[in-house]
Amino acid sequence: MLQPGQRRPLSPPPNNPTLTTLTYKYPLKLVPRAPGFVPSPDTSALSDSCPSRPIHLYLLTYGGGLLPGDHIEVTIKLEPKTRMVVTTPQGSTKIFKTEPGNDNGVSVIKGHRKKMPANDHLSDMSQQSLDVRIGRESALCYLPDPSVPYQNSRYAQIQTFTVDASARGDQRSSLCVLDWVTQGRTSRGENWNFRFWKGRNEVWATDEKTGKSRLLLRDSVILDDETQDDLASDDDEDNEETSHELNPHPDGADVPPQAQAGLLPLNVIQERTRPHGVVGTLILSGPVFDRLGTFLIEQFTSQPRIGSRNWSSSESSSAPEGTPTSRGDVTWTAARVRAGFVLVKFGAKDFETAKHWLGGLLREEGSIVREFGEEALFCM
Amino acid sequence: MLFEERPQGVESEIAQLEARLHDMRAQLDQSTYPTPPSSHPDKSWTLPSSTIYNNKNPQFNSNTTRSTSLHALLLLSDSALPLGSFAFSSGLESYLAHNKSRRTNANPVSSFHHFLKLSIASIASTSLPYVLAAYRHPQTLDTLDNDLDASTPCVVAQRASVAQGRALIGVWERAFRASFASPGKCMSDNYEDAEAKTATSAIDEFSDALKSSFEDVDEYDLGPRGHFAPLWGVVCRAMGLDLQQTAYTFVLNHAKAVLSAAVRASVMGPYQAQNILASQSLQDTIMARIEREWNTEPEEAGQVVPALDLWIGRHELLYSRIFNS
Repeated sequence: MLQPGQRRPLSPPPNNPTLTTLTYKYPLKLVPRAPGFVPSPDTSALSDSCPSRPIHLYLLTYGGGLLPGDHIEVTIKLEPKTRMVVTTPQGSTKIFKTEPGNDNGVSVIKGHRKKMPANDHLSDMSQQSLDVRIGRESALCYLPDPSVPYQNSRYAQIQTFTVDASARGDQRSSLCVLDWVTQGRTSRGENWNFRFWKGRNEVWATDEKTGKSRLLLRDSVILDDETQDDLASDDDEDNEETSHELNPHPDGADVPPQAQAGLLPLNVIQERTRPHGVVGTLILSGPVFDRLGTFLIEQFTSQPRIGSRNWSSSESSSAPEGTPTSRGDVTWTAARVRAGFVLVKFGAKDFETAKHWLGGLLREEGSIVREFGEEALFCM
Repeated sequence: MLFEERPQGVESEIAQLEARLHDMRAQLDQSTYPTPPSSHPDKSWTLPSSTIYNNKNPQFNSNTTRSTSLHALLLLSDSALPLGSFAFSSGLESYLAHNKSRRTNANPVSSFHHFLKLSIASIASTSLPYVLAAYRHPQTLDTLDNDLDASTPCVVAQRASVAQGRALIGVWERAFRASFASPGKCMSDNYEDAEAKTATSAIDEFSDALKSSFEDVDEYDLGPRGHFAPLWGVVCRAMGLDLQQTAYTFVLNHAKAVLSAAVRASVMGPYQAQNILASQSLQDTIMARIEREWNTEPEEAGQVVPALDLWIGRHELLYSRIFNS
C-alpha cells in the first residue's frame, strides 16, 4: 500500500511562481492555494533579492490521519528564489491504532530498530516521509499541527531537507520546520499509550555539481514503549527493569517504599517524557530566518536563572513562573548548533500551552508573518 | 522431645551441605579457564568480568593474560584516565535543579535512580551506535564524527563530548600509542594486528585533520570536531579490546561519571555510589541497553528521552553550577 504524492513548484520570474507538477494518490491529498500574500520588498529581510510570493500547500489525508499500513511519501522541489508554506488544515495528524490481532511477527523484531523502515513485517506501521529540496535563495516554512498518536499506534516519520551546498551568505536556502508530538487524546485519558513513534528530521547539504552530500543536522526522537507481546521472557525483563529501578536497597533502608512505588505505574514512554504532555523541535536555518533565530536565542538566554534568589523581596523568592506570556509551563531550550542552525526543543504540559507559547513567540518577532503572511501561522 | 529432634535435623542438613560443598569444590578444580570473549566476538553475551574471574587455575599462564586484552581493558576503565569526565554531570545537575521545586517531597536518592536509568538509556540510544560503528569501520571515523556532531542537539552536550573526545586523542598520542601501535607487540594473531593497525591509522589521520582545521571554516564545509563516542570505538579497537568490552566500558564509564557527579553534588555518599555501581541491577540495565542497540545503525540512532535534551540544554540557565554539563 504505497501512496506516493509529488509536487514541484517552479518560478522563472520570481514574482509569479507556478506549480509545474502536482500529483497525489489516496489517502494523500495536496491542495495548493493561490498566493494571496505578497511580501513587501521594503519589509522583507532580503529586499535586494525581491522575494517571490509564497505558494501555500495544504497537506491533507482522507480521514485526517493515518491508518496502520498507510505509507505517505511527499516530494517537493523548490526552485531557486521560490517560497513555500506548508500547513495541515485538518488539525493534528491522527495516528490510528494498530489492531492487536495482526501483529504476529512484528514483536519479534521490535527490539532492533535498524529494521524499522521499509520492513515488510511492519506493514501495520503508519509511515510518512517528506523530502524537500530547497534551492538557493528559496525558503520553506513548514509549521504543521502536532501528530497525535492514538493508543497502541505505531508511526515513523522521516523528513529530509536538502539545501544547496554551494550557496553562501544571503544566497543560502532557508527553512523553518516544526515537528511535535503529543501524548494522545487526553479527552480519552490517553497519556503516551502508543507503541512506537519516531520522528527524524535531517538536513543535508548537497553540491549539485559534485554530487557530494553532507549531513548538517539530524534531529531524531524515538518513543518506544519497548514491550514485546509474544515473547514472555523479554516481557519479564522489561518488567524487571521498570519495577526494580536501580535500587540496591531492597530493604528500604534509604529509600522510602512509597517514593519507589510512585514510579511503578508509568510506562516507559511516560517515564521518559515526564512531566510533559507534548514535546517538539523547531529547526531554523538560512537568511530568511536569521532574525527569528537570534530572537529565540535571546529569549532563551534571558530566561530567569534557575535556583536564583530574589534578594530584594523575601516574598517571591523562588518564583521564576509568571513571566508575561506565562512561559513557566513550557520548558524549552534554544541553541545555535552548527552551520548557522538554530534548534529549539520544548516540552509543555499540553498542546494548547505549547501552541500558545510558540505562536506567541513567532508573532512577537514577526519575521514569519512579514515574509510568508499570517496564513503561515495557520496551525499556531 | 522437641529439644532433641531439632539439633538432629540441623545436623543432617549440615552434612548435606558439606557434601554439596565438597562436590562443588571438586567441580571447580576440574573446570578450566573460561575462554576469553575476545576469541569469540560473535558468541552470545558473556560478562567481560568473567574473563578475569576464576583464579583456581593451578599455574599462572602469562600467555592467557596477555592474549586477552585485560591490560588495555583496565587502562580504559580506569577512572584516573585523564579525560576530564569529572567536569560533566550529563544533565544531572540541571535535572536536580529542575526537579527540586516540583517534587520537594521526593527522596533525592530515588530521584537519582530514575535519572541514572534515563541517562543510560539515552547514552545507549544516541551515542552507542557511533561507538559500535567506529569500532566496526574505523575508516569511517570522520563521517561518524560529522554525523554525531549534526545529531547533538545542544551546545552543552557538544562541548562535553568534544572535550572528552579530544582528551582521549591526547591520551592515545601521548601515552598509549607508543605501547599499542608498535608492530607485533602484544598481539600474536596477525589478523588482530592488522585490525588494530587500521584503527591506529584512522586515529592518526583524524588527529592530523583535527590539528590542521580551524573552527567553523565554512558555513557548510565543517571541519572535524573530535566527538567522544566514535573515538572511543576506534581507540578501543586499536588497543585490542573486543566489541563487547568496548561497548560495556563505554556505558559503564558513563554510569561511573554520573555516579561520581552525584557524590559531588551531595546526592549520596561514596559508599552508596559504589553500592549502586556494583549492583546486579546496574549490570543488567547496561547489558539490556547494549543488546538493544547492538544492531542499530548510526543513522537510526536517536534520543529516547526527550526530557533529557531539555535538562542538558537548560544547564546554562542554572544560577550556580559546579559542572560543565
